[in-house]
Amino acid sequence: MSETILQAHGLTKDYVMGATRLRVLHQVTLSVERGEFLCILGPSGSGKSTLLHLLGLLDRPTEGSVIFEGQDAFARPKRWRDRMRNEAIGFVFQFYYLMPDLSVLENTLLPAMIRTPLVKWPLAKRRHRERAAQVLADLGLAERMLHLPQELSGGERQRAALARALVHEPRVLFADEPTGNLDTATGAEIMRVLARLNKKGGLTVVMVTHDERVAAQADRVLRLRDGRLLHGA
Amino acid sequence: MQDQWLASPWLIPAVIAGVFVALGLLAVVLWTPVYKHIICLKYLFCGWKAVVPMVSALPAALGVFLLILVFAIMDGFVAETREMTRGTLADVIVDAHMEGLPYYDDLVRQIENIEGVQTATPIVQAYAVMRLKPRFAGIKPLVRPCILIGIRPAEKAEMGRFHEYLQRQRGAEYLAADVLHVPEFLRPRSEPPHRGCIGGIGLIGTPMPKKVREIVQAGAEWRVLLWFMTGLAAVITLFVWQASRRRHGRRLWQIAALVWALSVAALAVAAALIPVVPTEVERTQVIDLPLLDYGADLVVSTIPVRPSGALEVEAGGIPKVSSRVLTLVDTFKSGYWEADSTNVYVDFATAQQMAGMESQSASDGRPAAPARASQIQVKIADPARGPEIARKIEAAWRQFVRERPEVGFLPLTVNTWQTQQRMILTVVEVERNITALMLGMMFLGFGILIALISYVMAYIKSRDVGILKAVGARDVGVGSLFLGYGFIIGLLGTAIGLVGALLMLHYLDPIEIWVNSTLGIDVFPREMYYFDHIPQHLSREWCVAVCVGVLVLSTLASMAGGLLAALKQPVEALRYE
Repeated sequence: MSETILQAHGLTKDYVMGATRLRVLHQVTLSVERGEFLCILGPSGSGKSTLLHLLGLLDRPTEGSVIFEGQDAFARPKRWRDRMRNEAIGFVFQFYYLMPDLSVLENTLLPAMIRTPLVKWPLAKRRHRERAAQVLADLGLAERMLHLPQELSGGERQRAALARALVHEPRVLFADEPTGNLDTATGAEIMRVLARLNKKGGLTVVMVTHDERVAAQADRVLRLRDGRLLHGA
Repeated sequence: MQDQWLASPWLIPAVIAGVFVALGLLAVVLWTPVYKHIICLKYLFCGWKAVVPMVSALPAALGVFLLILVFAIMDGFVAETREMTRGTLADVIVDAHMEGLPYYDDLVRQIENIEGVQTATPIVQAYAVMRLKPRFAGIKPLVRPCILIGIRPAEKAEMGRFHEYLQRQRGAEYLAADVLHVPEFLRPRSEPPHRGCIGGIGLIGTPMPKKVREIVQAGAEWRVLLWFMTGLAAVITLFVWQASRRRHGRRLWQIAALVWALSVAALAVAAALIPVVPTEVERTQVIDLPLLDYGADLVVSTIPVRPSGALEVEAGGIPKVSSRVLTLVDTFKSGYWEADSTNVYVDFATAQQMAGMESQSASDGRPAAPARASQIQVKIADPARGPEIARKIEAAWRQFVRERPEVGFLPLTVNTWQTQQRMILTVVEVERNITALMLGMMFLGFGILIALISYVMAYIKSRDVGILKAVGARDVGVGSLFLGYGFIIGLLGTAIGLVGALLMLHYLDPIEIWVNSTLGIDVFPREMYYFDHIPQHLSREWCVAVCVGVLVLSTLASMAGGLLAALKQPVEALRYE
């Protein structure tokens, strides 16, 4: 029996630009089942990244609510949403967003470093390192752990970003155009990894893309145009 | 001073508060998520761009260095001046001027009962003229104005450093009461004995350039210079090492960094191995060359003043001059120019007779008059309480007059050592204020610099801020990362400045002599300042205040970046590449 992990009710998002109020999302309602691979497909400017940020608790909607694991996320304190992003959610972005001053391993350890105080780090470090090293090895980055992001290729960077998103075993992975900045072969490789995580690991994946071929690999595709879902969730 | 500091009632509360603050800070640091420490250190020490925050630590270092060094020297001047004043005068002086104060011993006892007063002694002081025949052939007899001071040597010895200023008897095993006694070896048996006197070196002598031998710690200046260079090189090492981690072919860079670090270590060892040897050096100094030998006679003349205030006159209305031949038993050099160039010390009774202040019986229609003193000098336990004790002495004087109506109305003046040395202390105070103002402006500039750097850093790193928040970092946490950034810059600057200032103060005199002999710049002309060393007094409280102030300033200033980072919405930072 499927279980809803994420729901959005009447999500609306306005951006105020000077005297102009720009509505980029109109009453979006959808739900995501646990273990589902959902793709939100839409052209550039359709509001799909904004929707992903709202679903991933990175941004606050103008109207509407997001129910994450049965909790109204925006009725809870901000500290709770921060904790969810740190423990239950993983993000992969189009431009990787790795911290340039940290090595690949340190980038992967970032979620653990955020939730571990200095006093506990000496004891916890080894366990976290082993876990990070394992995830990096699974993604084929065992030899690149001590490199800085700028020393990696695009595909390697995206895999490093994926490692960071997966190291804390999130319940939902949000991917914002994960192949958008990669060549076809590397993009396909990343998609294979996401599909494997979804099918074998049971990871819930919510991905936004403008690419029909990428979207075709998802269990379900929702189309977004001008901030409105074309098919009901 | 250390005893005073240790005896302060604030010591225990201050230590407890300090321990609590330190423990609190430690707890905050230990319970802070580890990412802040790692990223903050990466921002500070990662690559060549880290030179910017490091360079911004230099104004803080310079400010701390100058504030501690300059204020230590100025405080040294004040402390030495106070000690000079205590040695030549006293902490508090009850001045009856030339009228004289009767029943002074009774008043002394009352003053000694005041809480905070250690001891008190009466003094006779009279304007006089001194005549002496120099020991050098061809120089005519000299006549100089002077101040005749009558003291009770045993009591005066308890007032301060008086005995340390005596050129002949300093350090000798003697009874304090005997310093004015003319010893056998100074007194020709053929001549009748005279009363002994101690003359100020500036009064008895004449200024003359002379080669003076001094013991200096040779090598100390090179050691300090090398330590400074080592410190600078150590910081550079850090950059080289960090930079090597970001370069292709890092092995070569790391070898270079290692070689450099070893060179720095060798430099530090070399600095420590430089021998610091006490060495005698010769310097030209203007000194007061005594024109009289010990045991020689001089004549001091004064005009006695009657208890009524009128001058003693002879027949025909000519003022009566009281002259006395005195034997020079010692010279006096305190460094307090006024005292050294005018004072002649004699025993209390002799001065009373010469000034007309001895007890007088009724004669020639004049009433009997008790003996008088010009001043009562008071030593107090805590010099800082001078004004408070002065008020208590004034109250004691009013009480004394009420109890002893025969004293009559006498306008006494009660001065503290601060009011006596108002001129020099005001100059030092003005210099301190100007220095504090200038360095304060520099700190303001430093604060603005830190604020700008942290703001620009937070702006440049806004994508990092977005990443951290996307991964679950809290707004406050990301903001405090930049506060830590400013704090570490302040800490670095404070540490460099503090260590530099302490080293400089430790080796101040050798460095000054080295600058003088190498560059020919007389930084501290001793004859002008009248100190044979650069005075210094390092206040722990001041050091702590300066260091804490810089740390607080740098941390507060970095709030500019901290606020920008804390308020930054992650989606804003991540929306665009």
